[in-house]
Amino acid sequence: MSTGELKKGGWADQDHVPGIKSELLELNMGPQHPATHGVLRLLLKTDGEIVYQVTPVLGYLHRCAEKIAEGVNYKQWVVYTDRFDYLAPMCCNHAYVTAVEKLMEVEVPRRAEHLRVVTAELSRIASHLIALATFGLDMGAWTPLLYCFREREEILNLLERISGGRMLYNYMVPGGVRYDVPNDGWVESVLEFITMLENKKIKDYNDLLTYNKIFIERTADVGVIDEATAKAYGCTGPVLRGSGVKFDCRRDDSYSIYDKFDFEIPVGMGEQGTVGDCWDRYIVRVREIEQSCRIIRQALESLPDGSVQAIDLIKPVKVPVGAAYSRTESAKGELGHYIISDGGQTAFRNKVRSPSFCNLQVVEKVGVGQMVSDLVALVGSLDIVLGEIDR
Amino acid sequence: MEQKAIYDLLAGHLGEHAIAWHEGEIEPWAEIAPEGINPACVFLRDDQRLDFNQLMCLSGIDWDGFDEAGKGKSLGILGYTDEGAPEASDRVAEGDFGVVYHLYSHGQRHKFTLRVRVARSVAAVPTVSEVWPTAAWHEREAWDLVGITFTGHADLRRMLLEESWEGHPLRKDYVMPASWEGVPMDGRPYAVNPFPATEPEPKGDSTPPAEA
Repeated sequence: MSTGELKKGGWADQDHVPGIKSELLELNMGPQHPATHGVLRLLLKTDGEIVYQVTPVLGYLHRCAEKIAEGVNYKQWVVYTDRFDYLAPMCCNHAYVTAVEKLMEVEVPRRAEHLRVVTAELSRIASHLIALATFGLDMGAWTPLLYCFREREEILNLLERISGGRMLYNYMVPGGVRYDVPNDGWVESVLEFITMLENKKIKDYNDLLTYNKIFIERTADVGVIDEATAKAYGCTGPVLRGSGVKFDCRRDDSYSIYDKFDFEIPVGMGEQGTVGDCWDRYIVRVREIEQSCRIIRQALESLPDGSVQAIDLIKPVKVPVGAAYSRTESAKGELGHYIISDGGQTAFRNKVRSPSFCNLQVVEKVGVGQMVSDLVALVGSLDIVLGEIDR
Repeated sequence: MEQKAIYDLLAGHLGEHAIAWHEGEIEPWAEIAPEGINPACVFLRDDQRLDFNQLMCLSGIDWDGFDEAGKGKSLGILGYTDEGAPEASDRVAEGDFGVVYHLYSHGQRHKFTLRVRVARSVAAVPTVSEVWPTAAWHEREAWDLVGITFTGHADLRRMLLEESWEGHPLRKDYVMPASWEGVPMDGRPYAVNPFPATEPEPKGDSTPPAEA
C-alpha cells in the first residue's frame, strides 16, 4: 500500500486555513457500481476529490477453480476456463489446452490449429469491442456502446455456428477442437464480417469516440503508467503495450502457429498526450482489432484440410509426470497456466496467472493522487474482467 | 542465454544457497534454499547479463503426497460423505510446501524458473515483493489459498477469501468447514457426485398390482 510520501496537493496535506484541517474520507467504490466492470470493490481514501489511497478488495466471484482443477480431469476443466475471462473464452480455452499439450507433447492437427487461431482472434475482437464500449460509457459516451455491441453480436453468432455456444464455448480440447467448420459457408461469413469491420466499422468507432474532443480531454495525460512501472507490476497485454513496450506473446514467445502469420504489434506512442496514458491503452486495442482481422484472414485463406482432433474425444487424457508454465496472449494480456502433473487424469496443481489480476494491482500505485473521476478512467482503461481476477 | 549458463552464474553468486539444477524435463529449474531466494532474485534482476525485469508467475504449492513415480492421483480431495458428514481422514499431511518463480527478461528475452521448498512445519519463505512489486499480490494469494507465510511482506492479508475464513483451500489436507459465520456450507463438493446412483423410486401407486 503506498499511502506514499507523494505530495498530493490536497487539503489534508496542507494547512490552508490555520486551525482548520480537512480529514480523509473513506469511500467504497463498488462492488455494486456501474463503472467498476463487475464486482470489484475499491476502498478509497479521498481528500476532497483527490484519491489518497486505493485498496482493491477482491474475491466476490471467487470459486477456487484451482481446487476444482484437482478434482476433475483435464478435459472437464476446459469448461472452467471459459468462465475466467467470460468476454474472451476462446482465448482462455486456447491458453489451457496449450499448457496441457506442452506437457503431453502431442502434435495438434494443422487444421485444428488454424481453427483455434481464428476463433481465439474472433474472441479477442469481441473482448476489445466490449473494452472500447464500456470505456466510452465510463467517459460518458453512450452511442459507441450500441455500435460495439452490434458488431459483437455478429461475432457471437459466428462462434455459435462453429461451437454451439454463444457466450461460453468449451470448444477446444487437448489435442484439437471439438467441431469442424460447419457446412453453411462459415468461412465466407467470417471473411465478410472482418472485411466489413476493417473497412467501415473501425472508422465509425474512430469518428464517434477515438478522436472525439471530449473523450480525448478525459483520457489523454490521465492515469499515466510509465514503462518501468508497467514492467515492475507485471502488466501485460494492451496495458504494457500502451506504455510503449513492444511485447506480445504471440510473436515474442510464439505458441500455436502465430509465427506463420504476418501482423504488427501496435504500441502507445503518446499521440494525444503522454506515453502510457489512458488514451494510449485505448488506441492499442482499436489497432489490435485491425491486426486480429489480418490474422484471421491469413489463417482462413490458408486453412488446410484434414482432421481436427488428434486424441479420442471421449476418453480422458493422461498427462505424464512433469511441470510446465505455458503462457499465451489473451485479450487482456499474458494468460499463463502452471500445471504440475503426477501422471494421472487430473492435475496435481494448476496455477492460473491471469492478466487482469496482475494489471489491476497497478492502480494501488498509479491511482494515488488522481481525481476520483480519473480513477474511473484508469480502471476502465485497464479493461479488467472479474471472472479471471477472482477465479 | 542458455538456462544452464544462467544457473551457473547464479550459483557462483549464491554459493551454498543454490542447491541443485534439474535438467532434462520440459522446463528445467533451479532449486534454491529459502534463505537464498531474496539475494537470488535481486541478482537475477540487477545483473545486466540476466536482466530479469518481469516476474511472470509465482505459485504456491502443497507437495504433500506428490507421487514422483507417476502412478496418478496421490490424494483425493477431501469433502463430505454422501450423508453430509465431513470425510474423516486418518492420513496426516506431511509433504513440503513449495514456491515456484517464473521469470522473464524483456531485454534478453530469456526465461528462468526457480523453486523453493520449505518444510511443512515451517511454511515460511522470504518475500520478493521488494524486488518485483507484482509479487505482492501473488504472495497474498499464495498465503490465502496455500497458507505459506511470506516473511517481510508489508501487507500479508487474505486476497480472495474472507478474512474470517479458516484454513487454506489448496492444501491437500483441507476439509471444507461445516459452516462459516453461521452459514451452513450445504452442498457436497464437486468431487462427490451429488446424484448418487440409487434405485429409482417407483412413481405413482407403489402397491403391486393385484393378481388377477
